[in-house]
Amino acid sequence: IFEYNGSAVVAMVGKNCFAIASDRRLGVQLQTVATDFQRVFEIHPKLYIGLSGLASDAQTLYQRLVFKHKLYQLREERDMKPETFASLVSAMLYEKRFGPYFCQPIIAGLGQDDVPFICTMDCIGAKELAKDFVVSGTASESLYGACESMYKPNMEPDELFETISQALLSSVDRDCLSGWGGYVLVVTPTEVTERVLKGRMD
Amino acid sequence: MRLDTSALDNHFAAPAGNEFSGILATDNVPSLEFPEVATCNDFDGFQKATKEMLNHKKGTTTLAFIFDKGVIVAADSRASMGGYISSQTVRKIIEINPYMLGTMAGGAADCQFWHRNLGVKCRLHELANKRRISIAGSSKTLANILYSYRGMGLSIGTMIAGFDETGPGLYYVDSEGARLKGTRFSVGSGSLYAYGILDEGYKFSMPIEEAAELARRAIYHATHRDGASGGCVSVYYVGPDGWKKLSGDDVGELHYQYNPVQEAFVEQQMAEVPAA
Repeated sequence: IFEYNGSAVVAMVGKNCFAIASDRRLGVQLQTVATDFQRVFEIHPKLYIGLSGLASDAQTLYQRLVFKHKLYQLREERDMKPETFASLVSAMLYEKRFGPYFCQPIIAGLGQDDVPFICTMDCIGAKELAKDFVVSGTASESLYGACESMYKPNMEPDELFETISQALLSSVDRDCLSGWGGYVLVVTPTEVTERVLKGRMD
Repeated sequence: MRLDTSALDNHFAAPAGNEFSGILATDNVPSLEFPEVATCNDFDGFQKATKEMLNHKKGTTTLAFIFDKGVIVAADSRASMGGYISSQTVRKIIEINPYMLGTMAGGAADCQFWHRNLGVKCRLHELANKRRISIAGSSKTLANILYSYRGMGLSIGTMIAGFDETGPGLYYVDSEGARLKGTRFSVGSGSLYAYGILDEGYKFSMPIEEAAELARRAIYHATHRDGASGGCVSVYYVGPDGWKKLSGDDVGELHYQYNPVQEAFVEQQMAEVPAA
């Protein structure tokens, strides 16, 4: 069921910045239905979530998370920290332990003092924090290999963009169910850059 | 010399009765005890499941059509194992002999082996009869072989295309034993997308270049929409003198050739302000 729509999401940490990237295909098993599907969503300007897996669950989960975050903003009068948000997502997913959302979220944000934070979790909320990169989706095995070999710590934003784009494009080229372009978001304390990648459209 | 027929003696004390109650009578036949562990209650289902395991559902796109100057054959080059792409550079058009081509869809091993086997049979026919085998004859040979293996799990969806004394020939042969003569065929998971383009642009009378471009476009569209097709498009032409490979283009590049990237219209753009 995770391979019904097909997806690939990856996030990497650089020097005081992070990048989160996804593919753009929406498919129904082997047929491609859209090549501009959004999988990376903004919660607030320093916190992003990428949701791989079943597309309808990804959209529903995103809407519920935005709702919870807006309530938090009203009560606490500030944005949520990434660590707190990760705990929120994990709790929400475990609530549905016996009828889960078929999504694997990747959370990436700049925390206190603009320290980059990334984590991923499985579909029932098991958090996995990482210092370098996290991957999810149907192309995850290829992504692990590509990121492992291309990643270096403390990369500047431009180099980080190059690395994450190359890792994403080469991994989705080995997966039938993801690809058809890429979408990369690079976030630093002062600016957010979003770029659309030209990839193999087959 | 008296023949020793003791080996033929029947040691089972079988009562005389109808024909089935001889050795098969279960009364006093010592029976074999099966171990508790590994019995299979549903052996037919188990056998079916093992065959289904190899059933990759023909993830590919191949097409062929006849026009006034001969036959055009085209295919993609991706091999997929479920969701994983195992190769982007598979040769799916198999050269059986200098005037006959076969396309591969389904199990790669099955197609490669049986096409080569067909090539052997065609050559033997040539040597025995001092003339080339016709396309009808060679496709019938293959279809008969595949029919005899029907139900055993072979997965082949192939088109035999060539040029013989009666002109261009195109036959679709598959592992269920079907053999169809026709003018336009497309086989594989991406065939529906290719049919759309092929049927729209097809004319019987076309120059070779236009026919090749039609085939290339059809395969390109199939690779764009179908997840299990991709890689490169190879286009072959079979004429009176035999087959010739016309082109092999990477689909990634073809996409940007057919859809050149338009510069997005920018209304206002931030400019660097020179430091005062």
